[in-house]
Amino acid sequence: MIRVLVVDDSRVMRQIVIRTLRQAGYDWEVREAGNGVEAMAAINDEEPDVVLSDWNMPEMSGMELLTTMRANGFETPFGFVTSEGSPQMREQAEAAGALFLIAKPFTPEGFREVIEPVLA
Amino acid sequence: MTTTTVDFASVFEIAQAVFAAMVDGDEGLLVPRDDVGAAIADPMVAWVNVHGPYPGRTALTTSSATAYTLVRALLDVPADTPMAQADIVDAFGEIANVVGGNVKSLLPGKGTLGLPHVGSSLPPTLDALVVVAPLAWRGEPLDIAVWFTQERGEEE
Repeated sequence: MIRVLVVDDSRVMRQIVIRTLRQAGYDWEVREAGNGVEAMAAINDEEPDVVLSDWNMPEMSGMELLTTMRANGFETPFGFVTSEGSPQMREQAEAAGALFLIAKPFTPEGFREVIEPVLA
Repeated sequence: MTTTTVDFASVFEIAQAVFAAMVDGDEGLLVPRDDVGAAIADPMVAWVNVHGPYPGRTALTTSSATAYTLVRALLDVPADTPMAQADIVDAFGEIANVVGGNVKSLLPGKGTLGLPHVGSSLPPTLDALVVVAPLAWRGEPLDIAVWFTQERGEEE
């Protein structure tokens, strides 16, 4: 069972990400958070195996979440799932310690491709 | 520096890819529309703004009825299953968000994408309308419009 935390301010997008994770395979134990603040609370409560986070959210963005996690000693594998995948954002994500960036729209195959190495 | 190429072809290509991946599983259901300029009745509009060296906006407009159908297709919800209005707004806004995010990827610079908004009309927008893509999704009118200013001097 892989414990994943899905972070997105859109409830609908969280559902779509979760649906896609299930289509991608594996046995997921899913928790959800609506922004970085909620995500940080969930991580403090129980560290997941992987965090999948939107970039652009109210309260605390995905980038702020990643920075806060690292500052608090959480080295949890982290990937962005965001509507923009420009080279600049990919560079920024990598520099901050994200393992991958999945640009929306995504497919189960796309998820599998980037998550498989993380879970290996 | 990336070349700025926001035109009908690039917007249509993005929209087709988004609809195929998220909604239809088939690129053939979103096509160019002939009746360019025809007003869309009872509109629902979803848009995202871009802030930075190329401030702009991407907006999707369709009828409320088509937006509901679109959202049901996105979420795989049968026509006779009630949906919360908040979920309809959320989902329609996310489609604009994904299209807008991909349009923004065509632009150089480090602009930031705002959060999606949904309403019955657009607030006042920038003068620099770049492209309107009059499309039809499953035969129903759906317009995608993109605005951005071309002030490259502030680019980081």
